[in-house]
Amino acid sequence: MKVNFNLNNKKVSIDVDPMKRLLDILREDFGLLGTKEGCGEGECGACTVLMDGKPVTSCLVNACHLEGKTILTVEAIAKEPIGKLLIDCFDETNAVQCGFCFPGFLVSSYYFLISDGEQNLDKIKEALSGNICRCTGYQKIFESVMLACKKKQLYSHRFSLIHPVR
Amino acid sequence: MEFIKPNTLKELLEIISTITGEKYYFAGGTDINIQIKKDIIRNGKIIFINHIKELNGIKEDENYILIGSTTTFRQIIESKLLNDKLPFFQKSLNNFASPLIQSQATIGGNIANGSPTADVVPLLLVLDGKLELISNSMNRTINLKDFFTGYKKFILKPDEIIKSIFIPQNAENGFDTFYEKIGSRKALSIAKIAVAGLKKVVNNEINEIKIAVGSLNEYPRRLDLIEDYLLNKDLKDIDFKKIRIILKEEITPITDLRSDKDYRFEVCLNLIKKFLLKPDSG
Repeated sequence: MKVNFNLNNKKVSIDVDPMKRLLDILREDFGLLGTKEGCGEGECGACTVLMDGKPVTSCLVNACHLEGKTILTVEAIAKEPIGKLLIDCFDETNAVQCGFCFPGFLVSSYYFLISDGEQNLDKIKEALSGNICRCTGYQKIFESVMLACKKKQLYSHRFSLIHPVR
Repeated sequence: MEFIKPNTLKELLEIISTITGEKYYFAGGTDINIQIKKDIIRNGKIIFINHIKELNGIKEDENYILIGSTTTFRQIIESKLLNDKLPFFQKSLNNFASPLIQSQATIGGNIANGSPTADVVPLLLVLDGKLELISNSMNRTINLKDFFTGYKKFILKPDEIIKSIFIPQNAENGFDTFYEKIGSRKALSIAKIAVAGLKKVVNNEINEIKIAVGSLNEYPRRLDLIEDYLLNKDLKDIDFKKIRIILKEEITPITDLRSDKDYRFEVCLNLIKKFLLKPDSG
């Protein structure tokens, strides 16, 4: 099956099995290795990407879902100003241990910052409830997202030119 | 496995009226993907329906709110119309699965998957939801409570699909609402017990009552006998010993890896108690 979609702001087209998972398409066909496979069942969130601006687990999205869609992976998000801000905050609070779950946490946190961004612990917990970390725990992750929300507000003039992803 | 992608609703209905053998409708894919991975689904035809416009979206007419069967939970949670008209329904689904699954999973899939634990079904049951079923030759609307006939069994004919879900416009109006789902954790948990309820109490007397449960029978269902017992009763006269006896007849909890049957029974009873004694907050 031939599918055309937008991947990290570029139009792409591939011929693949309609049931091939987006996760495998990203890793095998496009060499984007930032998106990780954890459970492969939509429970852990390690493979989170944005599809049409909404977070999805790419292990449960198939080639047949992709026609005309816009996909943004952790590679593109890490280059966006808000993505960079989040990475700095994760650094600052030492939120990352082994790092395997982090691409997913980054994408979910990014979605929270662009869609809401309120410095509210309950909201952040809910926004990250589809992502699992098995190393160290969530406290520092929540702290870093809280910090990112605060910094985003403080330096809002710097982020005002960014248009949220569609 | 054969993959079929019809272009329009008409084409879809024509295809399913002719094909034989096992077939699976594939919309969000959050469950089918796992069933394929675990070899539960090995052969048969996969019919992709996610892109068919007529099956997606939330709108209203004079009497009903209509939700297309491939409408995702994210669309439901973010819908302004539902926030306006059915806030209890919308709010209750806020914790459905996880934010990531919400973007993919569809309301029709939650119903037609036939799981006894389907989160959306007890809610739709107390809201008197209806299903619009469509096939190449006919179109009919049935009450959701008549849809299920057994474990993963429905009255759906082989060439029929769920087109949309209807909820009456005033389904929540004036009711005291209740929805509680018990699981091992808040996110991504499969319910051990779910109870949804609507009640209208005037001068301490129950004027209208609707209670539905999930995970406690072969399919989610309304508790008709308990409703009959409670109707027109003064809140002070409710005998919970009596409710315990009736509930024994109405639910058939099982012991499985998630929970055991005695626990399920007691918690269900406690949730009903909590619902009935909950101060009327509107």
